[in-house]
Amino acid sequence: MDLKVSIANENGIAKITLAGTLDAANAPGFQEELKKLIGQNIQKLVFFAKDLAYISSAGLRIIIFAKQKIGVEAQLYLIGGQEAVLNVIKMSGLDNFMTIQDDYTE
Amino acid sequence: MPKAVFPAEMKNLESMIAFIREGAEKLDFDKMTLSQLHLACEEVLVNIINYAYPDKEGSIEINCKPGQEQLRIEIVDSGIPFRPLDIPEPDINLPLEERSPGGLGIFMMRKIMDQVSYTRDQGRNILTMAKGKQP
Repeated sequence: MDLKVSIANENGIAKITLAGTLDAANAPGFQEELKKLIGQNIQKLVFFAKDLAYISSAGLRIIIFAKQKIGVEAQLYLIGGQEAVLNVIKMSGLDNFMTIQDDYTE
Repeated sequence: MPKAVFPAEMKNLESMIAFIREGAEKLDFDKMTLSQLHLACEEVLVNIINYAYPDKEGSIEINCKPGQEQLRIEIVDSGIPFRPLDIPEPDINLPLEERSPGGLGIFMMRKIMDQVSYTRDQGRNILTMAKGKQP
């Protein structure tokens, strides 16, 4: 089980692409990567999750961390989430606070 | 009844999950249910790894009991007493900026599993969970 992360900041839009599984074992490394966005005046946090097969509460906590520490005012997006990931997002009530799309449209 | 014991360390999480997935194979769960089982078990295991043995090393014992219609999973540790059923449910209607980090994992585990029971016996925490094939 592995996680691949790439992060790009395009004029205040943070594009975060995730592939693999996001669990408690690899969440801390991902959180460290995301910390680079703190103070970067991020207006949108866009998680591209087409190739993310699994997320646990450790991953949800990072989404919450991103909102709280990177951009309290930032809009959150989840793009292309697989059924298993969407199920977890809904179970935790995060779906009410994120824009969920199949493809990213600004 | 497949049984395995692992050191309670994060680096063993993957092996523990693989052992449980193997135990679930007989029941031919659909992909979504398997993913939910993975999640429920990860949440329990990670709690033990992070909190059960604050000042010593310890282990986690996993028993998988695949029946005809349901899978029972027993997770045992010898750490500090911890009754997951007492953890208060988080408010999932709170906006993200107002949320605190705890409780979400156990909350989801309880939503996913059909039955969850806890006993403390001879210094051990014994958590038993069951998930049936039919929703």
